Amino acid sequence: MWFLKKKNPYTSLPSQPVESKQKDVLKTSLQQNIQTLKDTLGKSSDIIIREIRIGKEGTIKAGIIYTDGLTDTPSLQNFILETLMLDIKEIDLQKKISPEQNLISVLKDVALTVGEIKEVSTFDVILTSLLSGDTIILIDGYAQGLIISNRQWAERGVTEPTAQTVVRGPREGFTENLRVNTALIRRKLKDPNLWIESKIIGTRTKTNVAIVYINDIANDKIVKEVILRLDKINIDGILESGNIEELIQDSTYTPFSTIYNTERPDVVAAALLEGRIAILVDGTPFVLLVPALFVQFFQSPEDYYERTIVGSLIRILRFIAFSISLLAPALFIAITTFHQSMLPPALLISLAAQREGVPFPAFVEALIMEVTFEILREAGIRMPRSIGTAISIVGAFVIGTAAVEAGLISAMIVIIVSITAITSFVSPSYEMAIAVRVLRFVFMALAASFGLFGIMVGIIALVLHLCSLRSFGIPYMSPIAPFNISDQKDTFIVLPIRKMLTRPHFFNHKNATRQQDSTVKNKKGS
Amino acid sequence: MKKCMFAILILSLFLTGCWDRRELNQLAITLAMGIEKIEDNYQVSAQVVVPSEMSMKGSTGSAKVTLYTARGDTVYEAVRKMTMDSPRKIYPGHLQMLVISEDLAKEGIGESLDLLSRDWELRPDFYVVVTKNTSPAEILNVSTNLESIPANKMFNSLNMSEVAWAGAKSITLDELIADLISDGKEAVITGVQLIGDPKIGSSKNNVEKISPAASIQYDNLAVFKGDKMVGWLTKDETIGYSYVTNSVKTTVRPISCPKDGKVSIEVFKSNSVIKGFINKGNPEVNININLEGNVGSVECHINLSELGTISELEKIYEKELKENINNTIVTLQEQYKSDVFGFGEAIHRSNPKEWNKIKDNWDEEFSKLKFNVKVDLKIVRTGTKNNSFLEKIED
Repeated sequence: MWFLKKKNPYTSLPSQPVESKQKDVLKTSLQQNIQTLKDTLGKSSDIIIREIRIGKEGTIKAGIIYTDGLTDTPSLQNFILETLMLDIKEIDLQKKISPEQNLISVLKDVALTVGEIKEVSTFDVILTSLLSGDTIILIDGYAQGLIISNRQWAERGVTEPTAQTVVRGPREGFTENLRVNTALIRRKLKDPNLWIESKIIGTRTKTNVAIVYINDIANDKIVKEVILRLDKINIDGILESGNIEELIQDSTYTPFSTIYNTERPDVVAAALLEGRIAILVDGTPFVLLVPALFVQFFQSPEDYYERTIVGSLIRILRFIAFSISLLAPALFIAITTFHQSMLPPALLISLAAQREGVPFPAFVEALIMEVTFEILREAGIRMPRSIGTAISIVGAFVIGTAAVEAGLISAMIVIIVSITAITSFVSPSYEMAIAVRVLRFVFMALAASFGLFGIMVGIIALVLHLCSLRSFGIPYMSPIAPFNISDQKDTFIVLPIRKMLTRPHFFNHKNATRQQDSTVKNKKGS
Repeated sequence: MKKCMFAILILSLFLTGCWDRRELNQLAITLAMGIEKIEDNYQVSAQVVVPSEMSMKGSTGSAKVTLYTARGDTVYEAVRKMTMDSPRKIYPGHLQMLVISEDLAKEGIGESLDLLSRDWELRPDFYVVVTKNTSPAEILNVSTNLESIPANKMFNSLNMSEVAWAGAKSITLDELIADLISDGKEAVITGVQLIGDPKIGSSKNNVEKISPAASIQYDNLAVFKGDKMVGWLTKDETIGYSYVTNSVKTTVRPISCPKDGKVSIEVFKSNSVIKGFINKGNPEVNININLEGNVGSVECHINLSELGTISELEKIYEKELKENINNTIVTLQEQYKSDVFGFGEAIHRSNPKEWNKIKDNWDEEFSKLKFNVKVDLKIVRTGTKNNSFLEKIED
């Protein structure tokens, strides 16, 4: 199949059945069950086991087990403990029990005033739910229990995303809570065809992963492929969507990301409408979008919210900035050390004047400055915010002034490195900026050894590599290669929304039309 | 193992790469070069920029350029010999001016130009000039003001005088070589001379004064026959040459008034068409020159608001220019027998068969060539005034 030509080495591992020690089913004795739980959970202090007596005379023994900190205590007290210990004392529970019903289902159907409630009979499920924050009710004499979902823990609210900021556009960003995140998407797409499939990945972390797609738009083959690759994951822990990304991506040894990630619900909604598939991972605000294409990393949500001319110009600007960021130091090295005749005489003399007395070759000079800059940038990100500014001041001062004054570095290199640095921040996607950072050094080495010839060879190799990449079977460079004229509406320029009549063609064949051509209609009407 | 070999092969590529790498501070950037002949040897002078003097902060105030000279049997040998003196290798990629001595030009410039057209580092778009009454080394030794690099001064002033006055003609190496090898056209090269005292000229004091003791000036055109120089055109003849060869961009030309005094006409559009043909077995050329101009200044008593005055001025201009051009052509026909206008090429274009018959004897044919000059000037504007205020002073 065309999907499976390239496989991630990790996902192709044979998936082993999840080994579990708690395969056992519940016993009828409450005491035994509680003992088993205690044995399994060790001395964990956050597990609360409360033994109570319920029923008219308090004859029935019951156990309530929950994880402190993950469970909503007020609702536990108001709707579970109060119901069990006070309210149902009035009712003769034994009478209510018809032959086909037992106490458990009576409690579930009649008594407990909570939303999500499930019957359970294995320790396996009980442990997972308990550790996810659910409350477990066990009753003596029954080999079943109840799981009540009243999870509640401290978490960050919906705040503005920090990674992809916009001037115009929604300010909300995903949170660490999977449910909140699906809700944020659901609020934007009130479409019954928006399907959210869940999975639990990670033998120890048991991380909730949701696959979100619009059923009548998304390509079935890609959906199947996503599910297949997720199913193949067999790992003990998933801590961030980055782990999932690594495990399901098409090729590992490339600086380019073949899976897009975003913190913004509007970006996810737009991608879903184009036929992409979102993968949400509990515990991280970063949502994965597949398939990801090269041009996608140059698209900012703002392009579509701003006026189309402005959006197009800024899109073009990003591609220019990308090229500058990738090639500026390399071109400088190549031209000043191999192809001086390309410079106008006045510029040549000015550059030569700056280089007088500089002890390093241009390549070493550029390398020193680029590495220094990378170090400063890394330091600026990792440092506490308040020190970060100090770092940037020291960095700018040391690099910009002192090095030039001391005659170690020529002023032009400082300009080149600064331009490179600034242009690398233009990219709306951090992934692309990092890829460029890596490749810039490769191009610098090529330029230092072979001049412009080396740069050209490098560009050819880069283009070949980009064209060989696939994201879930979709060529990474589409719609540039393979070329599709209709999809150019949102590649280098952004056409007015009025003109975007169809969804991208490269991965969507189910339902291509986004809107009817309103201009044609109007003409007919008038 | 295979992977390891592959990696080594790739890495070894990088090791061999930088053999022709040169840092900017290893270059002796040469902007002007002079060639002259002294006792069978070529003497080459190279005007090299001193980059540290060109920088904003590192400048110590000494000369911005330095001159290296070396002698050799060939030009190439001399250029390489300069490293005996110069700490850096001469880098002629940005050469702007080539100065050839008058003596060498009279002997023939062909041999000395070969290196310059052959070397891959050189771009053949630099200007070539011939010294008049001085040597290239002396010309390249003069410090200049306004443009601190003398080569730039020479380059720019040649450009400007061609564009604004038509009194000089910029000729690049590739144009020169094309003219040298053409059957129906001979080469011309602008002359350059040194005005003032060359001894003071070479020192920095020269530019510390308001009017420098020595300066470089363009003057006249050197006429070539083959690759040998045969003589100089005068200033008027140079201008006539410019009109005929369509190299006038803008210029100013004073003409005499109907009564006493002068009127200057500013020409801003000039188009000259040379048509050659064979008339009854004899070659003949028509030269049509269409000009547009303004009245630039009036230094006599005329009434510009009268319609007739403008056409009268046009006629005077046409007559005077025609005379000038006639004189120029006659001088070249009789004195030098050198077809610098490309009349031969014009005939070649119109009648290749006849041209093949006469081309071997073209010099003789040229000196007998019949030519018809037609000048047509249109005066378009008279500036911001109609009549000169001179009229009112007299009242």
